[in-house]
Amino acid sequence: MADIMLPTASARTAGFPAAVSAILHQRLLSHGKVRLALLILIPILALTILAPVLPIQKPLETNLRAMMQFPSLEHLFGTDKMGRDIFSRTLAGVQVSLMVGFSVAAIALAFGMVLGTLAGFYGGVIDRIIMTVVDIFLAFPSLLLAIGLVSVMGTGLVPVILAISLADVPRFIRLQRSQVLALRSRAFIDAARTVDASQYWLMTRHIVPNTIAAMLVAASIAAANAILVEASLSFLGLGIMPPQPSLGNIVRDGQTYLEQAWWISTLPGVVILLIAVGLHFLSDGVRELLDPRSR
Amino acid sequence: MNYQAPVKTTLLEVRGLRTEFHTASGTVTAVDGVSFTIERGERVAVVGESGSGKSAMAMSILRLLAHPGKVAGGEVLLDGRDITRLSESQLNAIRGRLVGTVFQDPMSSLDPVMRISKQMIEPIMRNLRLNRDQARVEAIKWLGKVGIPEPERRIEAYPFEMSGGMRQRVMIAMALSCSPQLVIADEPTTALDVTIQAQIVEVLKDLTAEAGAAMMFITHDLGLVARFAHKVAVMYAGRIVEFGRVEDIFANPVHPYTQSLLGTIPNTSMLKSDRLPQIPGLPPDMRYPIIGCAFKERCAAANDRCRLEAPRLTERGPDHRAACWTQHGLENGATLKAERPARTNKPFEPDGSVVVELNALWKQFETSRKMVVRAVNGVNLRVHQGETLGIVGESGCGKSTVARLLLGLEKPTSGDIFISGLAQMVFQDPASSFNPKMTIGDIVAEPLVVKRRGNKAERLDAVRRLISQVGLDPAYAERYPHQLSGGQRQRVAVARALALNPSVVVADEPTSALDVSVRAQIINLLVDLKQELGISFVFISHDLLTVRYISDRIAVMYLGEVVEYGAAEEVFADPRHPYTRALIEAVPVPDPAIESRRISTPLQGELPSPLNLLKGCAFASRCPMATDRCRAEKPTLPNHDISRQVACHYAH
Repeated sequence: MADIMLPTASARTAGFPAAVSAILHQRLLSHGKVRLALLILIPILALTILAPVLPIQKPLETNLRAMMQFPSLEHLFGTDKMGRDIFSRTLAGVQVSLMVGFSVAAIALAFGMVLGTLAGFYGGVIDRIIMTVVDIFLAFPSLLLAIGLVSVMGTGLVPVILAISLADVPRFIRLQRSQVLALRSRAFIDAARTVDASQYWLMTRHIVPNTIAAMLVAASIAAANAILVEASLSFLGLGIMPPQPSLGNIVRDGQTYLEQAWWISTLPGVVILLIAVGLHFLSDGVRELLDPRSR
Repeated sequence: MNYQAPVKTTLLEVRGLRTEFHTASGTVTAVDGVSFTIERGERVAVVGESGSGKSAMAMSILRLLAHPGKVAGGEVLLDGRDITRLSESQLNAIRGRLVGTVFQDPMSSLDPVMRISKQMIEPIMRNLRLNRDQARVEAIKWLGKVGIPEPERRIEAYPFEMSGGMRQRVMIAMALSCSPQLVIADEPTTALDVTIQAQIVEVLKDLTAEAGAAMMFITHDLGLVARFAHKVAVMYAGRIVEFGRVEDIFANPVHPYTQSLLGTIPNTSMLKSDRLPQIPGLPPDMRYPIIGCAFKERCAAANDRCRLEAPRLTERGPDHRAACWTQHGLENGATLKAERPARTNKPFEPDGSVVVELNALWKQFETSRKMVVRAVNGVNLRVHQGETLGIVGESGCGKSTVARLLLGLEKPTSGDIFISGLAQMVFQDPASSFNPKMTIGDIVAEPLVVKRRGNKAERLDAVRRLISQVGLDPAYAERYPHQLSGGQRQRVAVARALALNPSVVVADEPTSALDVSVRAQIINLLVDLKQELGISFVFISHDLLTVRYISDRIAVMYLGEVVEYGAAEEVFADPRHPYTRALIEAVPVPDPAIESRRISTPLQGELPSPLNLLKGCAFASRCPMATDRCRAEKPTLPNHDISRQVACHYAH
């Protein structure tokens, strides 16, 4: 026939996971926003992992002969009123932050995907039950919900993660459900239904793969947000309790000395900012890469 | 009809217009040196395939281009004044006052939160310097002229309270209300049904004739051109390749592209055994400079000169210019014929076996307000083996619901459906009928995987065979849907429908999203497959010329009922139901000779709401011959076995 054209050399591997890995290999590193994000995040991550073996003071170690010192080669971010090394404490705080961000994103993604898909795909009673619960949770301001939960469950890493997730999960269910509703009426779903494809097939082959991109973007934004919320909770004294360092409680500690020793609060604050910005760039880049039209 | 403009004075002169779109992947030259003139009182049609630059050209005239677009050169003289050099505020005075515009989509071109009165009265006050009451009277007058019933009341309506046809009339009333000298209309009737289109075309004709305004309208419907235009500009790859009077363009087209376009439309004299001529290939990529003639790759008459030098528009007769190096374009149109030999003329002979049977089929939908929409009301239809049944009717007549019932996508409220074998579907919109994350190979293989047919290697073979059966290279299996053109995607849709060897394929408007040249390719493909595989087709469309060409039998639907059924040729040659007659009358034929002879009295009114149906004949509210009997008693169709059926008390 007339319009046969020779295929271009870029043969693509079949299947969704394979396609993702192909993008990861071919395109991820050449994407501008992703590069910038990795340029920010990888050094922070590397330092955090390497913290135990770096030649720096331990985060909890005090040195009363070196209190409130200005940043120097020995103490990169300076020291606080008990002579603890702020750089070392910041790295320990980042570890907590990343743990919180990753866990919250994973929990929100898992519950959001499953419950949102079920609500959107089946509709009816299932939808009504799930969405009523979601609406109840969405009626509370998320920070208040987290504060309430922490005051019931006590402080510490696990309650903080659960408290933040509880605020994010309803949003993820909402997002997933709206995506599923939009996809459900597309003609390719009808095409699969005409060959009696099972509902499991429709959900796993046609619906979920088309929702992943938006959910991953939402997850990386949620991770950045969770890091900020954890910092806020710790700053308010409701999150990670001292002496265990977290970015929020380091900033809180330094707050009283802002005029004499600005570095105690400021430098960890800058690190929080960098992580949040890095994650936002990463989410933007990943979204652009996962959209097949942009390939 | 030998057209002469009443007063031969030039209203609009465009010289060397160039429009560029600066996109991330390069500069697209959408309009590449277009020059033409429009006289006062003249209606000029601009035709061409999508991407030919016809809309960009029209929008460039008023500098209404969307963001990356920029007018890069040329002059636009409106009444002798160069409007390309005007400031935005000076231009605003011209838009609306001297030039009225009508856009394609009546749903998005009116402000949804403003009453019609507000949207209409203020421009009239500003442009005609009237006070509010005078402007209101003027607005109501125009609404009446475009055929809005009760204009005094409807002027206070919000756009959402009106149907698409009504909104398009409002748009036209707005465009004309400031008595502009030029009206630019971009596909003004494409989104509307044929009977509404016929009404609006008559309105526009009368109004431009009455007010002496010139009109430039963009369309891809050559039938509409024949009905409506005085002159035609054919665009290809950003240039006008032929320009002339409508009767010259249709009777003696010179440019091979014009000849091909005209050839691809099924016409009334064509035998079913003829293949539709098709234009090979695709239009050029406008991101790269074109050396020589832009049409050379798709042109059978191309010679060495066409490859090196771009032809300019030259005089070919009075008021007739074409840009082609050859004298007459394609010789006798013979080279247009598709490469396969004509099929043997095999008249349809029913072999008796029924593949699809619908008995007293009813389907009702409950809307959120507990109202019942009666989409399908007692439909009886049969499709025999190897037969194509065409279902025609306006939007809302229930034809798509019948298709969905047939495929089991909806459950009937009552009645039964018998299908021997399997029914498969080709969907309307090739953009949304594929999962964007799946490769073409996975898409075509999906029915086989779901039904657990064969192992992986066998399925791979089957996919390659299916893809080549629809005329694509098997290497396309590794591509994604967005990497294919609309026509290629529709081929893939056919391949997917064939995967499980269905006995019947339902095609719901399979060509309405495609350009004419590609449309012919898909129709030829469907006809070939029917011949080779003996599959039955149910072909649903509002494009009556195509349905006539492809179908053996035709069912005409109105408000969920079949009102007429019979052999395709008979129904078209001798329509008996008043609705069928009105529908066929409303379709413009691409032949100005026929169109100029037509004394058109389009069907009045619109489709009644399917929420509260009348007791009598569904068509009684619009029927010119309706009597009290029609309003009281519903006419019925005789049973299956009669080959020609009409549901009307007075026509048999």
